[in-house]
Amino acid sequence: MFRFRLYWTFTKKAFLRSAVYRFDVWSRLGSNLIFLLMWGSIWTALYAGREEAGGVSFESMLTYIVVSQFLTGVNGAGTPLWEIQEKVRTGDISLELMRPFDVPLRYLFADFGSVAFYILTALLPLYTVMFIFMDLTLPSAWETWALFIVSAFIGFLIRYCIEMSFGLLSFFLVETGGIVDVFYFAMSLLSGSVIPLWFFPGWLETMALYLPFQGIYYIPNAIFIGKITGEEILLSLGVQLFWAVSSYLLLRFVWNRASQKVVVQGG
Amino acid sequence: MPVIEVEHLMKDFMIAKRETGFLGAVKSLVKREHIKKEAVKDISFSINEGEMVGYIGPNGAGKSTTIKMLTGILVPTSGSVKVNGIIPYENRQENAKNIGVVFGQRTQLWWDLPTIESFELLKEIYQVPDKRYKENMDTFTEILGLDEFLSTPVRQLSLGQRMRADIAASLLHDPPILFLDEPTIGLDVVAKEKMRTFIKEINKERSITVILTTHDMEDIEKLCERMILIDHGQKVYDGEIAVVKERFGKTRTLIVDLEESSRSLKLRGGEVFKEEASRFWIRFNRDDVSASGLIAQITETHNIKDLTVEEPAIESIISRIYQEGYQDLPETVKV
Repeated sequence: MFRFRLYWTFTKKAFLRSAVYRFDVWSRLGSNLIFLLMWGSIWTALYAGREEAGGVSFESMLTYIVVSQFLTGVNGAGTPLWEIQEKVRTGDISLELMRPFDVPLRYLFADFGSVAFYILTALLPLYTVMFIFMDLTLPSAWETWALFIVSAFIGFLIRYCIEMSFGLLSFFLVETGGIVDVFYFAMSLLSGSVIPLWFFPGWLETMALYLPFQGIYYIPNAIFIGKITGEEILLSLGVQLFWAVSSYLLLRFVWNRASQKVVVQGG
Repeated sequence: MPVIEVEHLMKDFMIAKRETGFLGAVKSLVKREHIKKEAVKDISFSINEGEMVGYIGPNGAGKSTTIKMLTGILVPTSGSVKVNGIIPYENRQENAKNIGVVFGQRTQLWWDLPTIESFELLKEIYQVPDKRYKENMDTFTEILGLDEFLSTPVRQLSLGQRMRADIAASLLHDPPILFLDEPTIGLDVVAKEKMRTFIKEINKERSITVILTTHDMEDIEKLCERMILIDHGQKVYDGEIAVVKERFGKTRTLIVDLEESSRSLKLRGGEVFKEEASRFWIRFNRDDVSASGLIAQITETHNIKDLTVEEPAIESIISRIYQEGYQDLPETVKV
């Protein structure tokens, strides 16, 4: 039986907790803006005054970068990889095994709270202003907005499952530097968060298309700027759903192995 | 009626053997050898409802390992555990509802939030009915003085306040069994005393079964009648604390201040083991000679200005047992 009220309480408490870290919210928003400026300038330079590149207009490209930074903000407000590793190291996660709830779900719902707080207080006001005052290509149909939100949410779930799985690997490894590098490499490049997939060399694009990371940034973003349209959208959402389920199964597998290790080896 | 039954409990850990040197490091990349460490080897005991038992032993004796098996976060290698009729590791979540756990070294409260928020969260986790939650909060607030810091974030609490909050948190769902792991560690004398009074009270009034692990023998002495002493993963004593005290606590120390300094003091049945100007420390066995007998001997030749008789605390008895071994422990209860 799924106890929604219990997990929802985690969401509420995490929301409240985020309010404690006001400085954290502002500093994260600051760095988000700096990255936005940086990528905006880089892409402006790359387009070099051209109206279009790779079949995508400069305006759409700029929109892609803005949306991508927005999604980075959303995904970055959850429990980060290093914090999961820290909780594994200190034994906090092992001790949660003796509580009557499911640990991966408890962290997911707590993340909902932290992310909601960050979106409402920082991201939404800032990006609304940007959408209004910058020359961006915004979807005209409300359906596109809705599909974007759905897609971004599925992307969030994929990212959560993968990041949690990577974090839980600390149960099995003493040093985790390599894991962290692989994760952040995949997260920034293969997801299409800084360079859209259509600019990739063929082999890399193919590789990225067969991996789950594109579901986190590329797909919702491509829906937003209209790179993916019509029936293609449904297909992309299907791909995303497939990866959401797969990464959830991966998380379950890693978590089961991890808790099995705790109960046999003492963590 | 026993609420905790442990029979022939064993727990082995496989520990990766560390190779030394460069070659060893390279070798361990490919292949790791493991050595078996028996953390708990064949421990049995049973604890009745409402008992308060001190579970003690030196560092690395296997205390935490046993407690972890009782909470269900460790699976025994062999043997059986039953807590309130449930096998903890088979039904961890069900077992969780029957136990309250306090770790003195860490907190179960949310660090950054006002204390009350953690209580509300625990209320949801354990599905405590509103009415019962309010009753418990009122009781705990009254005895533990929670109201002075309920709206303070946990990270700003003093250690004493944090411990009080933690023990209240562990009892919100009315668990019949409470595990306390060093509940008074780091507390000042007054805070320790408050904590002990509270533990005693809830044990009595709610007949909660308490298992207490601690290195503070005063906790054991003031709270428990029974203690289980373990070392090297084995039970070495299980029985009344009074018996141990009786057995090992026969040595008394008589300290006398004489009016004039004396060069020597020869006594029948007593042994001077320390002297300082006109003060003498005399060790004697209660069975051989009485304190008054010794005093009488001294007054024959000297004038006594002041005197005290010291009885050894359980603290020093236990440290003696740790150092000298367990051979002298009472036969009747020795396992």
